[in-house]
Amino acid sequence: MQSPAFLTISDLWIERGERVLCKGLNFNVSVGEIVRVLGDNGAGKSSLLKVIAGVIPSLEGCIYYFGQDITQDHSRLQQDTLYIGHLSGVKNMLTVEENLRWHCPDVTTDKLHSTLSILGLLPLLSTSIKSLSAGQVRRVALSRLWIQRKKLWLLDEPFVSLDAEGVAILESHMKQHVVAGGVVILTTHQALTSIHSRDIDLLS
Amino acid sequence: MTYTSFLKSECLVLWRRKYDIFNALLFFIMVVVLFPLGVNASPEFLAPAAGGIIWCAAVLAILMSIESMFKEDYSDGSLEQLVVSGLSLPLLVLIKISLQWVAVIFPLLVMMPLLSEMLYLSSGIFWVLVVTLIIGTPSLFLIGAIGSALTVSIKQGGVLLMLLILPFYLPVIIFATSAIQTAQSGLPYSGLLALLLAISLLFLVVSPFMTAISIKASVN
Ligand SMILES: Nc1ncnc2c1ncn2[C@@H]1O[C@H](COP(=O)(O)OP(=O)(O)OP(=O)(O)O)[C@@H](O)[C@H]1O
Ligand SMILES: [Mg+2]
Repeated sequence: MQSPAFLTISDLWIERGERVLCKGLNFNVSVGEIVRVLGDNGAGKSSLLKVIAGVIPSLEGCIYYFGQDITQDHSRLQQDTLYIGHLSGVKNMLTVEENLRWHCPDVTTDKLHSTLSILGLLPLLSTSIKSLSAGQVRRVALSRLWIQRKKLWLLDEPFVSLDAEGVAILESHMKQHVVAGGVVILTTHQALTSIHSRDIDLLS
Repeated sequence: MTYTSFLKSECLVLWRRKYDIFNALLFFIMVVVLFPLGVNASPEFLAPAAGGIIWCAAVLAILMSIESMFKEDYSDGSLEQLVVSGLSLPLLVLIKISLQWVAVIFPLLVMMPLLSEMLYLSSGIFWVLVVTLIIGTPSLFLIGAIGSALTVSIKQGGVLLMLLILPFYLPVIIFATSAIQTAQSGLPYSGLLALLLAISLLFLVVSPFMTAISIKASVN
């Protein structure tokens, strides 16, 4: 018998404000895959990621995590998931270090410093988020991908406001993650340059 | 994220935003100080009215501080992160409300001896006032958190919040002030204190769950 897929979406219906966005969406995600959700503006890409993350409920359908139905109680999947949405999820009043220690309290100082130097944030370690640029804030949010060890990454337009160098760093980190047995589901409007992804099209 | 790291970050944010709480307290002091000047500064009038004045001012100050409780978390996405953290949202909410309560009520209690002196409150009644504040105000924060979470996604949610939660504040204000008045007339007031405590305990159980549901509806 075949072992169950990492994530199975079966007959998923999503409704946002009276509009049905997905009608009976079906797909499987296996370990080591990068899945890119495609669609026009307003097609429901962000909504799909939010449903998987458990931010909003689906109208109908089931989500299976290693064959286990988690549609009602997302907490088992959430423990293995890192979701970074349109909003960065970092607090303006805190510094870069405080924000990261809030998200992952058990990170060692070495790991924190090495991650921040990869992303060019080390000089900003104790700078308050409210005095960073948009791209720097995005880098702070994304640095959780280096620090937190989670299997599933749900990234909603992670490349927005990153420069070319930032995009390259993130792509190579995604590649490393899936080689190590992780899974990435992302939405983006720009083409991925160095990594191969499987595309799922949401027709509007 | 863990419960302790959440607690730490919330403490830090509260500390960085201490001027908001300071403003609410300043407002509280101004109401209490201006009231005697505006109406009547004689001890015969102020002593019986003191409990009511302090309680009304405290309720307004609490409303001010509670309105923006989830605003920033909502707009920067931290609220969303709490929902997907895999931790129990009601428990996270309870931690946040408790911290907010301590941060507002502790300085308020510290100022209380001075203010009650100004309002000619006798020392016996002063302690009744302190007890009503300690056991009565938790329910105000717990109720306010539900309203604050419900209205967080609405631009001008402040007025709506008042309308939503003021009816629930009324019993607390009435029981608290009548406990003080009953004590002033020398009658037993422990029943009223028990009622206050019961309201707080009820909302201690109900509010975290209702706030969590409201948050989930708001981040939608
Ligand atoms: N909070 C909301 N309440 C009601 N409807 C919403 C809400 N958020 C989004 N929608 C609607 O849901 C639809 C899908 O939105 P969604 O954000 O998922 O699109 P998207 O595919 O991510 O688009 P984009 O490429 O612009 O990011 C849109 O038509 C939008 O109008
Ligand atoms: Mg989107």
